[in-house]
Amino acid sequence: MRIWMTGLAILLVIGGALFFAPSPQRTTSITLTFHAKMGDDPLVFDEFLYENPGGPGTFRVRDFRLYLSNLTLSQGEALFAEPDSYHLLRFDNPETTHSIRLNDIPLRNIDHVRFLIGVDPDANGSIQARGDLDPNSQMAWNWEVGYKFVVMEGTLRIGEEVSPLVYHVGFSENAREVDIQLPPDIGSDGNVDLHVNVDVAKLFDGPSQIDLQKLSSVKFNREDAAMLADNYEAMITPSFK
Amino acid sequence: MLRVFLTAAVAGVIAATTWVIWDRVRGPTATPIAGFSAPFVFGRFAVPPDNPLTEEAFALGRHLFYDPILSGNNQVSCATCHVQALAFTDGLAKSPALPGGELEFSSMSLTNLLWGQERFFWDGRATSLEAQALMPIQHPDEMDQDLGELVTELQASRDYRRMFRKAYGEISAENVTRALSTFMRMLISSDSKYDRFLRGKARLSEQEEHGRKLFMAHPDTKVSLRGGNCIDCHSQFLTSGFRDALDGFSNNGLDSDGDLPDGLMAVTGNPAHKGFFKVPTLRNIAVTAPYMHDGRFETLEEVMDHYNDGIVVSDTLSPLILEADNAPEAGQGTVGLRMTPDEVQSIIAFLHTLTDEDFLTNTQFSNPFEGDS
Repeated sequence: MRIWMTGLAILLVIGGALFFAPSPQRTTSITLTFHAKMGDDPLVFDEFLYENPGGPGTFRVRDFRLYLSNLTLSQGEALFAEPDSYHLLRFDNPETTHSIRLNDIPLRNIDHVRFLIGVDPDANGSIQARGDLDPNSQMAWNWEVGYKFVVMEGTLRIGEEVSPLVYHVGFSENAREVDIQLPPDIGSDGNVDLHVNVDVAKLFDGPSQIDLQKLSSVKFNREDAAMLADNYEAMITPSFK
Repeated sequence: MLRVFLTAAVAGVIAATTWVIWDRVRGPTATPIAGFSAPFVFGRFAVPPDNPLTEEAFALGRHLFYDPILSGNNQVSCATCHVQALAFTDGLAKSPALPGGELEFSSMSLTNLLWGQERFFWDGRATSLEAQALMPIQHPDEMDQDLGELVTELQASRDYRRMFRKAYGEISAENVTRALSTFMRMLISSDSKYDRFLRGKARLSEQEEHGRKLFMAHPDTKVSLRGGNCIDCHSQFLTSGFRDALDGFSNNGLDSDGDLPDGLMAVTGNPAHKGFFKVPTLRNIAVTAPYMHDGRFETLEEVMDHYNDGIVVSDTLSPLILEADNAPEAGQGTVGLRMTPDEVQSIIAFLHTLTDEDFLTNTQFSNPFEGDS
């Protein structure tokens, strides 16, 4: 009888210990911090600091912002897609950064982060407010066309002459996918802290090199828009590389 | 018989007294405003959690709005410079200042304040309606009232004691501004011809539709797209400035660098904001002349002339305005949209579809001290 009681007590203690022991971590949280850059340096607004990459003159940036959508995180085959995933990245703050935090993602770790620069065609053709999509915002472009995906506005100065720079790139076909593979050691205790650079210079300096004097605005011309989209496709890169 | 009558009378008096006492000691009734809806195309809005929209607050705010008791000399009310028939403007370039002369800015329309920018006044110096409403009351050139004195005056009024008790419990400067904000938040204009068009209940004329298309388009000569470029600052459905951050402020080319007023820079300290002013709603724009922060333009034609070929270049001028041109060759000495007279008239015709007669005459927004309250 005593043995039987002792056995029961031991079982209870072990069971209780198992029950209250910290279970292995099952979810992950991630912070994506986007750093606006011009080349290797943090972007500075409103100062004539930058050389025209394809011609004469210097330019300043008054506004730079973009839509990021359809953020998905994955570990091997397991995939988590953020619902209503529409983020307007804007950098008009002293750090010129923009952060997105996602908590308690049902993945043990994350090896891939994927998203679109731009908006998927379905949401782009809708006037429903979702995430940061807002048809009454500055990024709403044209009732028929949808949203601007990437916006850069500024001024080009050549000698004493100044002229406006307006790059509004949209059209559903210009959404570009970005796929970032994370190194295996990036997460600790279920937290991933990912830093990403957004290089404005790439907009004008990629497969096509743009002379800001010759092409001082891009709006509704589809060829021009596609050319800038092919450039901005490589604009966002992780900073651990 | 007499005894029965007396008993009934006493019972009646006791019941009435009990009700009066109970009504005075109970907390505010705070009935949420029922059936409140707004067109979904206006988008999201936020009401401060510490100042929910209630019937009692609205009724109180409406009385305060129209009551000159809010001013130091008891002669000026909010409605002095915000007249309902003029979409809550006053028809003047600048309102008269109390000590004589005129105020710095034109009286702003109070319409659809739940949406659009979350900063108020032309230079954006107030970051909430609650903060805004107390400023004209205290300003020596506007209503010149001491808030402590105002509370004392309101406490002397039985009606206000009752209304404050029902809405908030007590009379305070904080509750004055909460009530005024509630009244202003409910000044919703959503029954213009344009709204009915958006709901599929009205057709725009050919000219109005042409104007709407021009309103919504940034011109691009490269693809032969003509545009009035209005949407670059005035959102497509609200027609107000944008809500996010400081997107709803702009330099629209009124003055040269030498004459440029500080505008938003006075508030942010950022030189890139010099000459920036709040982009106003265009709802009821046909009845809110004169136009601009200083009321310099008397008619919509003058406004359109400004944008068409009268832009004055300055360092902080919006590049979107500087760049927007419907003519392919560079302009000779003028900056502007260079639209045809027909196109200009079409945009003006579209702007007239933003007039909401129901809003301008809605008796819920009118002076409660006159006629039916």
